[in-house]
Parts: sequence; structure tokens; C-alpha cells
Amino acid sequence: MRGFAAATLVLLIVSLSGCGSGNSSSSSETTTPPPVNNVQPVIVDAGPAVNGQPVGDEDVLFTTVTICVPGTATCQTIDHMAVDTGSTGVRILASLLTLPLVSSMNASGQPIANCIQYADNTYQWGPVAKADIKMAGEVASSVPIQMVGPSNFPAAPADCTAGGTPAQTVSDLGANGILGVGLFRQDCGAACALPSSPPAIYFSCPASGCSIASVSVTEQLQNPVWMFSQDNNGLVIVLPQIAATGAASVSGSMMFGIGTQTNNTLSGAQAQATDGYGNFTTTFNGTRYSSSFIDTGSNGVFFLDAATTGLPDCSARSQEVGFYCPASTASLAAINSGPNPNGPATQVSSNIAFSVANATTLFNSSNTAFNNVGGANPGAFDWGLPFFFGRNVFLGIEGQSSPAGAGPYWAY
Amino acid sequence: MMKRPLMVLSALFAAALSGFAALGGSEESVVSDQVKFQASRRIVPEHGYRVYEISRPDGTLIREYVSFDGKVFGVSWKGPTLPDLSQLLGSSFAEFQNSLHRKAGRRKAAVVNNSDLIVESTGHMRAFQGRAYLKSMLPDGVTQEVVQ
Repeated sequence: MRGFAAATLVLLIVSLSGCGSGNSSSSSETTTPPPVNNVQPVIVDAGPAVNGQPVGDEDVLFTTVTICVPGTATCQTIDHMAVDTGSTGVRILASLLTLPLVSSMNASGQPIANCIQYADNTYQWGPVAKADIKMAGEVASSVPIQMVGPSNFPAAPADCTAGGTPAQTVSDLGANGILGVGLFRQDCGAACALPSSPPAIYFSCPASGCSIASVSVTEQLQNPVWMFSQDNNGLVIVLPQIAATGAASVSGSMMFGIGTQTNNTLSGAQAQATDGYGNFTTTFNGTRYSSSFIDTGSNGVFFLDAATTGLPDCSARSQEVGFYCPASTASLAAINSGPNPNGPATQVSSNIAFSVANATTLFNSSNTAFNNVGGANPGAFDWGLPFFFGRNVFLGIEGQSSPAGAGPYWAY
Repeated sequence: MMKRPLMVLSALFAAALSGFAALGGSEESVVSDQVKFQASRRIVPEHGYRVYEISRPDGTLIREYVSFDGKVFGVSWKGPTLPDLSQLLGSSFAEFQNSLHRKAGRRKAAVVNNSDLIVESTGHMRAFQGRAYLKSMLPDGVTQEVVQ
């Protein structure tokens, strides 16, 4: 952890000096606010401790977030929030919260609850509350967030659990919460504001029990970045390249804004728009997979299956089940493509070289960061955290304008 | 083309027809799923089987593949929200859950490749997709590729 502290200090000094010399950065805004520190330190490490031992998941990106009672200086700092570009919304384990946050109420005067479900049939459930979110020098005010799994709140209804498994403890989640800073402004959007038959994402919770309810877009969980008063059109994640054997920890930064300050210019990065679901096309061995995506919250490059790739699965009895375990490292290539967000008639393509090593061998080391772990994801590519090492990856938020065009897009 | 909708129902039944399973269950279970997912439905005939397409208001499309002897041999889903897999997988859901040897904190696809049951559940917030089928229930001459 000493290395983390030192790296944080260095980043802070670099960014502060950047601010001092960069205050002439251009902007088309008529009233340009003075630049603030937009550099949020991030780290890949062994994660938060449970009973004195770090949870020890591989390839999880963390950061520290300050949350406050809206409009007050009553604040709490939460470390080891998992940085997740694959979801939207701030979710904090209720058991860690000491702040007196107040549940959001709907028009009927009942608490609003939120449910997030994952493809592996895990979920997080809990009431929505508003908090100020502070990262680096940026502030997002009165952001609806989720308090995950509080003991003094109705249990998750069957429409949320869907027979699945809760991930609502530090050890089950591998983090103290999730910082969902994905491509979208809200976790759900218009579908959850439908007056009839909205999906099982928002609930109204009278004493008699919770049931699925329609919730306006503004009351839904928000991406805090688009609620910043500046640097609010996206972000860029910068992580250094690491050795093929991995690294014990990796420090990097998440800069807010795209083309808003001297440290977040695109600098030749090529932007590719996603579709309305956040997906794009990855071409591999001549076949196009149009439901592919980029996700810091996935701790490997998950793609296709053993039959299609020729990469053997790790033993179904091992802890590495779901990952690939080739006898020797495979060097692979793929092409990501999507429309230019500044001119949708133009396609933009990027060649991606990546490799997949034996996950059992890697995970048996004491390292926590790897650029070459992979696993199965039938029918598509899930470019997880290994994609980010040695690359500056820009994420443009939906509907927010930037020099590359309006989001949702990726640029790298 | 053979793909021609036979009928379109915009049913919103008030009473739930519970007790039916989906995957591995009877054709009637499709009606139960339609009620559960509060969706409209159409039926598409294919060679050797028929497909019930259930569309949720949020745009999620669920397909149930039914053999001519009235058994659901496959299901698939695609769209912004994850359907209730305990409903959709029916009596196979417990096997699906028990087969996921997930390590905490790892988010990835849920893939089950058992002797009879195959499940592939992938995607992320706002973009889920997946399929499940029972090998033993595939009609003669029908391969698992049709379950998409």
C-alpha cells in the first residue's frame, strides 16, 4: 500500500502542475469555469480486506470515492470501489455506510428501490438515496445512488432475485461498492419510465412489500460523471503496460472530461460509436461478432468458446473455471469497428493484438494484475481489464458532445 | 421464406397460469411465460419445430423453441433487460445454478455445458443475451444452432 500512496502523491503533483500551466485551454463554452483537478487515482490490487485478508480477486480496478449528505460537509470516504465501465450508477454496500442518507420517495410517498441483475444470475438490491459524489476536484450534486443490501429494508422481492444469488457483501462482491461510469447517463433510462410494464429494475416499497414500479429518468441511478459541472462528457482511463507474468499492483489514473483540459485530449485516438445498447463489432478469424463490448468490470478478455478459439477451458473443478488454460501463451488478433461518431457514414476500425496465457499458472502467482487472462463468452467479445493496460481508453457518455462527437463511443 | 407469422396476440392476461415450466416443459408453459413477462407473442413455423416469440415492452425478445410433440426444447433471449431465468429455465434452473462454480467478484458470462443441459448467459447492463437447450429434446433433424 505504500507504493499506492506514493503513486497517488506523484499523480496529484503532476495534475496540479498541469492545472497551473494549462489554464489557457480552449473551450467553446461562453462561461468557462476555472479548471479543477480532473485526475482520479485508480489501482489494481488485491482488493478490500475481509478479516484482515484482502479478497484477492484478479484484474479488478479500484478507486476511492467521497460521498456526502447533499449540500453538507458531512462526508464519508469509501475505498476500493470497483470502477465499472460496464454499468451505470454508484452502488455502496449499506453495511459500510455511516452517513445518514435518506431514501428517495416516489409520488406515492413510498421508498424507491433498485435492483441490478447480472448475466451470471447474481444481483444487488437496495433503496435509492441521494448523495453528493466527489472525485478528484469534481463534484456531482444530489446523485441518486443505491445502498446495497441494508438490513433495515424489505428483502429483495422474487422479481429481483429471479432465483439468483446476492452479491451484497465485501467478500461476495470483491469490493466495497461499484462506481458505474459506463456509456449511459442512467442505469436503465426510458424503459424504466414506461407507465406500464417496466422491467424489474425499479420498485416501490410500501410496508406491505416491494413491487415493480415506473421511475422517472431523473430519479434513476445516474452516472456521476455526466452530473459534474465540468469535464462531464466522458473520461479516459490510463493504465501502464505490465509484464506477461503480471504485476502485484498497478497504479493509474482516470481523467474526467474529453478534450476539456490539456490532460484529456484525444491525441490521435480513434473514436468508434457503439450501438444503442453499448455494443460494437469485433471481427475475429473473419467472423463478425456484433454484441461485443469494453468493460473494466470484467476481469479478463472473455470471448467465444473453446470450440471456436481452440483454447482449452481450465478444469471445471479448478477455481479458474470459465477461464482459458492453454499449454502455451496464444498470440491473437482481432478488429474492433464502429461508426465515426462525428460522421456515422464512416466506419472506424482498430487492430487489436492480445494474448491468452494459462489462467491457472497466472493465478497461482502472487500477482493481481494480468494483461493476458481470457475466458469464454459465447458469441461475442467482452474486452475486460486486460484491454486497458498500455492503452489510453476514452469513454464518451451518451448525448454529451466532445471533440470526437457525441457519445456513446469508445476511443483509443 | 418459411418464416411467416401465423398469428399475433397482444395478450395481457390478468390471471397467472402458474405451475408450468418453460425449458423442458409443455407448450402451455409458453403462455405462462407470456403472462410473467407481460409481453406480446407471435408464432413462427419452421421445419420440424415452431418458435414462440415473446416481445417485452422494453424491447427484450424471448424465443421459445417447441417441437411438434409440444415440448419446449430451447429458449433464447436478447435485449436490454435480463428475463427471469428461474421462470424461463423452469425445472432446469436448479441444475443451472448448481453448475455455476463462480468465484466471488468475477463478473463474466454464465456458461453451463453439461451432458444434457446447455446454458449460455452473457452481456451487460442494457444488453443481455443468451440461450439454453436440452440436447435430449432436440427434434429429429434439428440441431442446436437453431436456438439463437
